[in-house]
Amino acid sequence: MSLSSTFAIINSAFTSTAAQSSVIASNISNVSTPGYVREVANQVATSYGGSEVVSISRQANAALLDQLNTSTSESAAQTAISTGLSTLAATVDDSASSTSASGALQNGTSPSAMLGNLQSALTTFQATPSSAAAAQGVLTAAQNLTSALNTGANTVSSVREQADQSIATSVDSINKLLGQFQQANDSVVSGLASGGDVASAETSRDSILTQLSQQLGISTTTNSNGSMSVYTDSGVTLFQDTPQTVSFTPTATYTATSVGSAVTVNGIPITGASAPMAVQSGALAGYSQLRDVIAPQYQTQLDQIAGGLVSAFAESDQSATPTQPTLPGLFTASGLTSVPADTAVDGLAASIEVNPNVDPTQGGSLSLLRDGGISSPGNSAYTYNTTGAASYTGRLQQMSAALTATDSFAAKSSQGVATGLETSNSLTGYATDSVSWLQGQNQTASNAANYQSSVVSQASAALSNATGVNLDTEMTNMLNIENSYSSAAKLLTTVNTMFSALLNAA
Amino acid sequence: MTPISISTAYLGNSMLPVVAQADQQLTTLETESTTGQYANLGLQLGEQSGYEMSLRNADDVLESFSGANAVVNGQLSASADALSSITTSAQSALSALTTWTPGGPADSELATTGDSSLQGLITAANSTYAGSYLFSGVNTSEAPMAAYSSTSSSYSSLVSAFQTQFGCSPTSAAAGSISASDVTSFLSGAFDDQFVGGNWTSNWSSASSTDTTAEISPGQTVTTSTNTNTAGFQDLAQGYAMVSLLSDSSLSSSAKQAVVTAAMSSITAGSSAITATAANLGQVQSTLKQTDDDITTQMTLLKTQLGGLDNVSETQVATQLNTLTTVIETAYQVTAQLQKLSLAQYLPA
Repeated sequence: MSLSSTFAIINSAFTSTAAQSSVIASNISNVSTPGYVREVANQVATSYGGSEVVSISRQANAALLDQLNTSTSESAAQTAISTGLSTLAATVDDSASSTSASGALQNGTSPSAMLGNLQSALTTFQATPSSAAAAQGVLTAAQNLTSALNTGANTVSSVREQADQSIATSVDSINKLLGQFQQANDSVVSGLASGGDVASAETSRDSILTQLSQQLGISTTTNSNGSMSVYTDSGVTLFQDTPQTVSFTPTATYTATSVGSAVTVNGIPITGASAPMAVQSGALAGYSQLRDVIAPQYQTQLDQIAGGLVSAFAESDQSATPTQPTLPGLFTASGLTSVPADTAVDGLAASIEVNPNVDPTQGGSLSLLRDGGISSPGNSAYTYNTTGAASYTGRLQQMSAALTATDSFAAKSSQGVATGLETSNSLTGYATDSVSWLQGQNQTASNAANYQSSVVSQASAALSNATGVNLDTEMTNMLNIENSYSSAAKLLTTVNTMFSALLNAA
Repeated sequence: MTPISISTAYLGNSMLPVVAQADQQLTTLETESTTGQYANLGLQLGEQSGYEMSLRNADDVLESFSGANAVVNGQLSASADALSSITTSAQSALSALTTWTPGGPADSELATTGDSSLQGLITAANSTYAGSYLFSGVNTSEAPMAAYSSTSSSYSSLVSAFQTQFGCSPTSAAAGSISASDVTSFLSGAFDDQFVGGNWTSNWSSASSTDTTAEISPGQTVTTSTNTNTAGFQDLAQGYAMVSLLSDSSLSSSAKQAVVTAAMSSITAGSSAITATAANLGQVQSTLKQTDDDITTQMTLLKTQLGGLDNVSETQVATQLNTLTTVIETAYQVTAQLQKLSLAQYLPA
């Protein structure tokens, strides 16, 4: 041993102190960076007695990261569904409604509330069949009802359109993230091969995975060379050395019969009923569930209500020996020339309207409401009030009764979308069932979204605690390094003094 | 055992979600304490929303039944008033007939009484309520009884019936030779025909024989009027017309006596028929009253049920508000304390 070898050791102390401080600095500067994994300098003793930082490793925790990614996917799916459902539920929200002191119409927006209003208006009209004001009341209630159905159907379409756009955005973002993932993955692989520092590349790879899991559920495997492969939670390969192409053709406008296109990976569909390996979670799964299952189901229910209305208010031939067909009466749709079967009403909720023949502003006559003949004014076959009596209530009683009479509804649309509601019900009962269904779905989705989001925050807290930076720990380490640095400096001065003494003695 | 480490980022942010959630709940609670109802009813009730909606609709429908029944009740009261005035005037006509003695000015007084009673009957039969004729059956836009005057078809038909039967007019001298029994058989024959069937509906009444009906509660329909094509109106009109037309005519005293006798029996029959009708309508009115009471009870019940679903407990809201305020304050304090707990604060500069 010689004094000069001491210099070498002190020098190695300076080098390793610098390396350690740089790690601490990096840790401290990333103290609030989400997803940052604390780095640790691995220091070893050298053969000549010095010290050396041989590598920088990450205090990673793969299990907790997986848990965070999984819960992020679940939460993203539930949030997507819940957002869409709350938009739909807003169309049946009657919490703002109240019955005014005069017993006038309630303010709700749902088809069900509007049906109730129509029922009330018909009751009032029956008591004063010769009153134009009461007839106008029925007309207004009927118009409000059709506009509630139109609004409902339009909202369903716009929810589906928005979901479609969100899927497109999500697919873009998945492709971008997979591109970024390739860069990070390449850095890790080449860094490992050359023995370089891969900590920051690994951190950025993990953070890309967390972002990816927001869009769709994923699982990963790591190969022997450090390269990571990414699969969807259903097992379709998304990345293996190179990213796979995720593609999607957006549909701009949705009608009741539109079917959105599926998201595919290399041609294999990963969303939709026909997908053999459909993604289970992530925003993509949520939006596709909303677009292809939930919204169409509500659409079918609205169409059934519209179809029920048309047939409940249809007018039949009143002649002694009927020869004419039954025609749509108060409720019809443009171009509708016969009463449609309950299995053939797709899209009717969007097009249903009050027959212009009863609307004075469109040249119609209000008295047809009482007398019948809305379907074909002037055709005596459809006139119920044959004597033209001012207080004839027979037709009004029929219409009123039709609202509460048991009717049968189709279980499925012609597209095969099940309504999920009891098929034998009154029109009013069916409409309230539909409200129950929608609000029930809304409540369930909202609870699930809240629950999943709390799972995410717990998982992210656990991950943050396991892999994140604690300032106090870093400070303590820094003090240690500071002390060892000043000791080394002291040592250097001392050895220097010894050298000086030796040289001066000569 | 590895020491439990808490990351500084988590420590610093740990209170954020607590405060954010509490803030959100605070907004909800504020709305609820102002309105007394759940802020988001649909989300609160979920699958029960449809049930709530059906209660609300039922309440709404009952409310409109209640309003409609008020109109029906008004019609029934107006009908009862008109019918009672008809029976009153029938009674006074009967007493005039009873006290009548043939000959002299009494004949023309009786004719005047008969005419004014007939005019009174027509006026009462043409009573309206809220713009609708009460005794027109369902044909409420038309006055049920035509006016009776020397130019009306009802008058001329009666005169021509007399002419056809006896070959002279009631006021011609030839009428004096008609026997009482001939008059009696004329009154119960050709004269009576004028007050039934096609003659009645073409000359006297344009009412519909179908009475108005009203649904006074879900599924309960009642008849709410009578019409002038009923025996009561016909008999009264017949009785009054006999007196009006024949008591001041050229008929002999005995024939006039036969007219008065026939008129009295006709008016008595008519009056009791009208009384019976009034009793029927009175029965309907009391059913209506009973139904209205039931509706009020049902509405109270529905409102209680709705309140149970829609309304928040004020005490609960107040307690939750207090708790939340405490939670937020604590969160702030904890955050401030945690910020102080850093080694950096204690190291010499």
